[in-house]
Amino acid sequence: MELIDIVQALGLLFIFLGIGTIIVSAIGLFKLPDLYLRASAVGTSAGLGVASIVLGALLMDFSGLNLLKAVIAIIAQLLTSAVGSMAIARAGYLNNALPAEITHIDELSLTRRSSDRS
Amino acid sequence: MMSWPFRIIGFLLWYAKEFLLANLAVTADVLRPRRRMKMRPAIVAVPAASRTDSEWTLISSLITLTPGTLTITISREHGILYVHGMFVESRAQLVADIQEMEDRLLNAMRREPGDLTRPTERPVVRPLDEAAPPFAPGAAQHPPTEAGERS
Repeated sequence: MELIDIVQALGLLFIFLGIGTIIVSAIGLFKLPDLYLRASAVGTSAGLGVASIVLGALLMDFSGLNLLKAVIAIIAQLLTSAVGSMAIARAGYLNNALPAEITHIDELSLTRRSSDRS
Repeated sequence: MMSWPFRIIGFLLWYAKEFLLANLAVTADVLRPRRRMKMRPAIVAVPAASRTDSEWTLISSLITLTPGTLTITISREHGILYVHGMFVESRAQLVADIQEMEDRLLNAMRREPGDLTRPTERPVVRPLDEAAPPFAPGAAQHPPTEAGERS
């Protein structure tokens, strides 16, 4: 087997790993009980899932320019998905999306106005 | 203490390891049947040692990027990160994890790590319009005793 075949196979492996991660986080969206846990679970697909698909595509079609594109794509994806999750969680908390009952500590609820507390 | 560029590389490697482990933990827990899930979510106020805007931005983004932990909001004047964790056994454990990540980040970001102290006691954070006590002190704070003294 030549080196190029091994690299192609590795690329396919990374792409399927990414697809698997995204499928699992989609299952998580259905199974988890509240907004914050769901936002955490989607983090796996937005981070590792997309990054590993981009890495796989890079391995299957490698060039210097593609390497630069892939690095930029992964960094931009990681930064924006983190900021997006924070914005969603914060907006949810401000709009009284209460955490699920299994949440055993909630120190942020101390900062709520008492009329909003339930 | 390693020199600055090596600290940055060391932090990136450490973070990559933590990121992969957290991904595995969350993925495994989602695939577990509902009754056997190990999930113990909690929202904890973590005292933080960050000072500048870029430090606050990076630490809260990195916390959110790690699956299973999520920064909901921060309070700069009190020096607090409000972190939602997915697998929290106790308050101390999540605080220790987050502060370890912050220590390593600040060591990598600052040429001289400098002051890493944090407020040790959790400050009492209240909504602004509830900050004033509801009645004047001493006036009617202990109605039962006052009534007892009068009679």
